[in-house]
Amino acid sequence: MPDQPDDNEVEERLREIIDRLDPVPERLLAAALDSYTWRTVDSELAELVLDSVAEDQAALVRGREDVRLLSFEASGLTIDIQVSSSGQGRRIVGQLAPPGPASVQIRQGSGVTDLDADELGRFRGPLRDGPFSLKCSAGEERTRSVVTDWITI
Amino acid sequence: MEQGEAGDLVKAAAQGDEAAWRVLVERFSSLVWAVARSFRLSTADASDVYQTVWLRFAEHLGRIQNPERVGAWLATTARRESIRVVRSRSRALPIEDATLADLVPPDETSPELAVLDAEQARLETDRAKQMWRAFRDLPVRCQQLLRILMASQRPSYVEAAAALDVPVGSIGPTRARCLRQLRRLMNEVSGNDSQPHTKKRDQLGDDRAGSA
Repeated sequence: MPDQPDDNEVEERLREIIDRLDPVPERLLAAALDSYTWRTVDSELAELVLDSVAEDQAALVRGREDVRLLSFEASGLTIDIQVSSSGQGRRIVGQLAPPGPASVQIRQGSGVTDLDADELGRFRGPLRDGPFSLKCSAGEERTRSVVTDWITI
Repeated sequence: MEQGEAGDLVKAAAQGDEAAWRVLVERFSSLVWAVARSFRLSTADASDVYQTVWLRFAEHLGRIQNPERVGAWLATTARRESIRVVRSRSRALPIEDATLADLVPPDETSPELAVLDAEQARLETDRAKQMWRAFRDLPVRCQQLLRILMASQRPSYVEAAAALDVPVGSIGPTRARCLRQLRRLMNEVSGNDSQPHTKKRDQLGDDRAGSA
């Protein structure tokens, strides 16, 4: 056909349609710009090393409860958490290893929740929707601080 | 944006330069969104992935091994988080909001087209709907690649390859094949415009990849 549009023309037309149909929502762009303020410069990063969703699909089928297990690791500190969802919302139950008291902060876009880990390194608290990260400050003076990778449940 | 420039922006942002952060967000925002959407995530899930990627990036600024490849890092992170969400959502209640496939081009009455005269507007709308219908009839892999390449800030092939976890060399040929299929589907649709769409066309779905 003489008037057959070429690849680039087709692509540009499709790009226009998608631009109009599915742009990045404005509020998200604002949230992305704001993400910078969550940056910590003096904390060690605990990276995600285990996620029950990624590790064991069979368990998801077996499990009746809506429970997610996650593990974050920094040098010398492991943070294991279990997130359970129910009609009343979501809750985090966590365990620090090695065990010991610490200040734990749940960080979410909508705000922060301050918790205390007990002598055995256990803590628990509510979790709102959306991505979250934990900040743990341990040691005698709470001088050592670790933040986990952000994650979506 | 040159790779070197992107690398410098990452280093500057890591040292506290918020203006550099802004440039990075504006440059790569549409790529991160496109990757999440390419995994057929709903608006709510795609929003979670998008926000998670930027929050994580902020925390990783000073730790990224190849700052000049920041676009590929963001695309890879968006892919992994999208897959994580897809897996966790398979057991959760369905969320009733729109995925990419549910979107419909606006009618000629929409404000965007109100400036055009009625006949011209109708033609524009019909063309957009025809192309969109053809896009949605493409095999899933084609829809995914094209949605990523259609990010309003056009990604490089390296970034698209990171988003899909495929070799860079495969992007060009796959793009060409997918666009060819898209054109063919559009021709089919316009050739059949006077007749109602048969069910057969709708049912072909993803199997079409094999007959390409």
